[in-house]
Amino acid sequence: MPDNKLTIALSKGRMQDGALALFARAGVIVAESELNSRKLIINSTDGRYSFVLVKPPDVPIYVEYGVADAGVCGRDVLMESRAGVHEPLDLKFGRCKIAVAAKREVVGQDYNLLATVRVATKYPRIATDYFHAKGVPIEVITLSGSVELAPLLGLSDRIVDLVETGRTLEENGLEVIDVIAESTAWLIVNRASFHLKRAEIGGLIAQLTEILNQ
Amino acid sequence: MSSLTKIPAGVQYFFDDEVKLRRYVERRAMEVFAGWSYDEIILPMFDYHDLFARGMGEEKAERTYRFVDRDGALLALRPELTSLVARTVATRFVKRERPVRLCYSGEVFRYDEPTERAAREFHQLGVEHIGEPSIVADIEVLLVAAEVLTALGLNGFRIALSHVDFFNGVVDFLKLNDTNRAQLRELIGRRNSLALDEFLNIHASHIEPSRRTGFSRLIQIAGKEEAIARAREILLNERSRAGVDHLAAIYSTLTALGLEENFDLDLGDAGGLEYYTGLTFKVYLPDWGVEIGGGGRYDNLIASFGEPEPAVGFSLALDGLVGAISLGNDKQELQSANDTQAISFNGDLARAFSQARELRKQQKQVKISAR
Repeated sequence: MPDNKLTIALSKGRMQDGALALFARAGVIVAESELNSRKLIINSTDGRYSFVLVKPPDVPIYVEYGVADAGVCGRDVLMESRAGVHEPLDLKFGRCKIAVAAKREVVGQDYNLLATVRVATKYPRIATDYFHAKGVPIEVITLSGSVELAPLLGLSDRIVDLVETGRTLEENGLEVIDVIAESTAWLIVNRASFHLKRAEIGGLIAQLTEILNQ
Repeated sequence: MSSLTKIPAGVQYFFDDEVKLRRYVERRAMEVFAGWSYDEIILPMFDYHDLFARGMGEEKAERTYRFVDRDGALLALRPELTSLVARTVATRFVKRERPVRLCYSGEVFRYDEPTERAAREFHQLGVEHIGEPSIVADIEVLLVAAEVLTALGLNGFRIALSHVDFFNGVVDFLKLNDTNRAQLRELIGRRNSLALDEFLNIHASHIEPSRRTGFSRLIQIAGKEEAIARAREILLNERSRAGVDHLAAIYSTLTALGLEENFDLDLGDAGGLEYYTGLTFKVYLPDWGVEIGGGGRYDNLIASFGEPEPAVGFSLALDGLVGAISLGNDKQELQSANDTQAISFNGDLARAFSQARELRKQQKQVKISAR
């Protein structure tokens, strides 16, 4: 008999609280003691769900491979991963922008189309697609954090990064040039689980949709 | 860089129990195919790239491993086996009685982008049923697939059925061009209803909003009989209706056979449309996160190589079947009762080897020890 418990992968950090709050509104409660523990797999009090807390870029991987039936991650992560998963629902929290930014003093300058623009980012695919669509050749410098530092130290001309309030950019003398996409949290679902656990997955989607429409 | 310290991406080595399990799965599947009168065909490992491009489309043929023949012609390692079967049937099997039933077991090679994590070498087990246009052949191949899975003890399998005319009917109705059609297929494949709504606002603005809403619900239609009823409520034209009627007829037969637990309808599945012309299906197993196989009707393929002929078939990934079996506890059958006889040599070569030969005549397993 297939196990009908649903395993949900959640992004640790920024999105975690929002996701758990949404699930709590759907009646899926995780005990405080579980949350405060160091366990990597935590269970809902009714035992119907278990949650795995992983780094944001890993959420689509867990879901694509089916070790998690569903997951909650940002649109940014999803665009970058190109994972083969279903994306049934925009959960509408964790809103921010994937933006191109540069030092304030060079913002007005256009790209020299003959020169290769250096772009520092955590999103090499999104950055490449964006610049290539504009016909600008780029050299991508993939960093795993503090991307804002790159233009300050002269490592890159531009950055492509997630912007929530814009304060970090501002305090470091950077300015948004263009917004590539808006990003919010999305519910993603494994393609096999969609069929094999149809009742459970369908129920979850219906419940979350109802809450979001309230 | 040394060839001893690196392994090319996606290649695999198998040994020990895994080899036994792979051979066992292959054998069981081929037994089932033979039981339904499918004859095995052995196909070449490579052929002209052009053949695969004709068969599976230029875009997919881009994912092949290519190399040049001595005369400069472009060759490709086979990325799938159906095109090779189709060419053979359209040329060398012209005079044979129809339908032709063929099965195969073999490796295929391709880069499966964008998931570069995936293997590049796959072993496929499959059947092709050529020359019969009716629902009878559709149901037959579904039952063959189901029997393979059952024979392997994978009873929790789920086969999701769809029909390309359901989607194509929608495309006709919306009068979409090829680019938009591809985009629509992508959105449906991801079940992204928000993006689909946006798409429809742009490309279907001429359609009244209530019908548009109905259409954006199409991608969620999956399930059992109730899915057919829901699909009928929001059908857009004759073509879609015919597709759903065909599926309904297949599904009611499967239900009559007591297989409704193992089969599902998934009208939101719009994969492989450039290739398939009717029924399509995908096979899923519990705790195995990706589809382990699929198939459908491809009535236009044979015409690429000769006279047009209807055809339907499927393939299953040996790697997926083996992986899923390994997760469960269905391996007992593999343990052969055949216990090994150790023969030690004790100074007399002739005696030791004659003893070994005697045991071999009785089909016993022997193992010679040099000490």
